[in-house]
Amino acid sequence: MSKFSDKFGDGLNTVAAAVDGNRFLGAIKDTFSVYMPFIIVGSFATLLNTLLCSPKAGLAQFSAFAWLSTISPAFSAVNFATMSFMTVPIVFILGVHLARKSGTPDIISGVIGLASFISVVPSVVSITDKGATLSAAGLSGTVLGAQGLFVGMIIAVLSVGLFARLFKIEALKIKMPPSVPSAIATSFNTLIPMLIVLCVFAIGGIVFKNISGSYINVAIYSLLQRPLEAIFQSAGGIIAIVVFSQLFWLLGIHGGLIISPIRNPLMAAAIAANTAAVAAGIIPNQPITYGFWVTFIVAGGAGIILSLIVAILVFSRRDDQRMVAKLGLLPAICGISEPVVFGLPLVLNPVYAIPFIFNSGIATAIALGAVKVGFLSCNTVDIPFGVPVVLNAFLGFGWQGVVVQAVILVACFFVWAPFVLVSNRVKAGE
Amino acid sequence: MRKQITLVCAVGMSTSLLVTKMKTAAKERGVDVEIVAVAESAFEGQGLEKVTDVLLLGPQVCFMAKKLKARYEPSGIKVEVINSRDYGMLNGDKVLSDALALMGE
Repeated sequence: MSKFSDKFGDGLNTVAAAVDGNRFLGAIKDTFSVYMPFIIVGSFATLLNTLLCSPKAGLAQFSAFAWLSTISPAFSAVNFATMSFMTVPIVFILGVHLARKSGTPDIISGVIGLASFISVVPSVVSITDKGATLSAAGLSGTVLGAQGLFVGMIIAVLSVGLFARLFKIEALKIKMPPSVPSAIATSFNTLIPMLIVLCVFAIGGIVFKNISGSYINVAIYSLLQRPLEAIFQSAGGIIAIVVFSQLFWLLGIHGGLIISPIRNPLMAAAIAANTAAVAAGIIPNQPITYGFWVTFIVAGGAGIILSLIVAILVFSRRDDQRMVAKLGLLPAICGISEPVVFGLPLVLNPVYAIPFIFNSGIATAIALGAVKVGFLSCNTVDIPFGVPVVLNAFLGFGWQGVVVQAVILVACFFVWAPFVLVSNRVKAGE
Repeated sequence: MRKQITLVCAVGMSTSLLVTKMKTAAKERGVDVEIVAVAESAFEGQGLEKVTDVLLLGPQVCFMAKKLKARYEPSGIKVEVINSRDYGMLNGDKVLSDALALMGE
């Protein structure tokens, strides 16, 4: 390998270890791996609601099942409890994971993160109706749902971090006689740091509101989260992220895992926004969701490995390649690329590097193009990783999804094919 | 006590392919060993650090090796990255041999 690519490889390895070792990013990654299944369950509640309870498209259209439409609010409730309410459990879980990494009491830290967050957001909801503004105690959907995600995560990181520092200061500990059970001492010793943290954040929140005129959650949403969402949802933004992720895969590093701390919160916000749009009768407009990622961007494995397998089975005369292709076929249908990535191998393989890096970007462009021309709708049903191709496209995006996925697999087959032929010639020339 | 080998990767899916092959290999050899695969983020959540003797990493998460070695080797868990070629070829027999060698068996 040349010096340049050596340095490049070392650089990416350093980035991977740094992201993984970073406490905050690591905690965010762990938090979303706990919470993602709930988001998928919430989106499946939406699907069940349509399939069973919709008087137009569901089972309820038949008179024998008309009663099903009366239980429709139950499925909406499951969706609300998981998706429209996501910021509350996510802030709590993030607090727990942050505390585990710094060795402070975890459940208490989770509650501190959540309480600090709730203390800086408006606890009154106002509605204007016929010129009159009415208000009542309560938390608004913009706080509980995905719009509160970034401010919630920031407050959790800061408040749990402050708590961890204060917790370790001896002077703040209440001295107990040795005969007092240690559990009692621990519970008292958390009281002063807790009081300080909650007061600091509540005061900070109100000072921010008094100076700037708006609540901090509104400010962070419009200054940070919305711009990030806009970049992430743009063709240029997401393709750059996908190619970046594939560069890691070229080194044999799980690229999706490296970018997940920033990718997963933005995807969670996107599916929640789509669900809210459909509920409000508007057309959903956030294409890049987790379902979009597993169905199109990494169709048949990151780098569109399923197309490579078929290209090898069609064109390659090399027994070693054909054996790996057969071994990797079933896993690739379920989106698992590792047998081919490490078996062929694609890792640091100069012959296959270009398609391996760019195919997922091409797939992204094709699927986004289909959204742009109005063929493909933005999804409200998210798909877990591991569901076979075709089925994942159908569940998340209907028959249009299956068509777009097929176009991606065929297009990438033609991209892989010449490189398979070159690899045969390279072997023959050796 | 029964020895345990735990494999970790990003979501615990591709390692689970290898686990199936390793279990078959262990059965053929008559080795009594527990083999499981999980996502790296779920390793401690499931309390596996208490029962694991050998912790094997998928090569795609090799960058975690340093961190995991520092955390678990002091408590006697052997931590190693799986050879990437064996991983790709799902060579359960070879990976099992390597793991048993790490345990000194």
